Amino acid sequence: MKDIARLNMSIKVTSLDALNDQIQMEGKASSSYLAMASWCDQNSYSGSAELFYRQANEEREHMMKIFKFINDCGGNAISPEISNINHDFSSLEEVFETALEQEIEVTKSINKIISLAKKTEDYAVENFLQWFVKEQLEEEKSMRDILDLFELMGREGIAIKLIDERIK
Amino acid sequence: MKVVFRSKFYTLYQSDKEKCHYLDMDQKTIKLSFCQFLALRTKVRNISIEDHFDSDLNKHGFEVLMLCNKEHLFVLNTVELLDLKSLVEYGFLSFDVDQLVNTIA
Repeated sequence: MKDIARLNMSIKVTSLDALNDQIQMEGKASSSYLAMASWCDQNSYSGSAELFYRQANEEREHMMKIFKFINDCGGNAISPEISNINHDFSSLEEVFETALEQEIEVTKSINKIISLAKKTEDYAVENFLQWFVKEQLEEEKSMRDILDLFELMGREGIAIKLIDERIK
Repeated sequence: MKVVFRSKFYTLYQSDKEKCHYLDMDQKTIKLSFCQFLALRTKVRNISIEDHFDSDLNKHGFEVLMLCNKEHLFVLNTVELLDLKSLVEYGFLSFDVDQLVNTIA
């Protein structure tokens, strides 16, 4: 029997599912950052708001990168349905803690797909995702650096305003 | 045409010559390109079977399934839907097994 799947698609069906799940995750991350940007704007943290607006765009770009890759490989990219976005935070630090946790989840998910790709010898997917590995390292680092500022400068009064001004 | 997988109600065939699949849905047989078969897989996998057991979410326990860019329309009950879900899953599994056997051989 001919391998019709391979004749039509350069990646494995298991990778296709995993990448579609990743699209969903990146889409949710983008919406989540938008909610954080909104919270920061409402609470007059303009520096942080600016960063989260930018982050929301970046996550969407990541999503589109995977979306395009799937379709270019002959697969079927699924536009994600996003729901249950949290808009409530108790402090600026909590916002950044949530952002870091989100980035770590994305990194774990990327690593999982790479493991799957290795297992199924889907080298195109493995190669494609290497860019995301590097990107995630940078994303996690930038969130950790901001959280370090809270340790250094404190969490009271003017310190928060100064932290926000440093974030851009 | 070779049989890829036969479930209780449906049969999935593969035509090597035409590089496509045929799905015998009992009422009619539909021709599916690989892309259309992938779309069918996504559609079927996204149907929540749990909803069929909740009268608020799915009052009558039927699912309307449109395939191949709305070229075909099927109304399936819960049992038929479960059968189609297994056909799609095992169909793809059969492709993998077939390729594995070919590689080893």
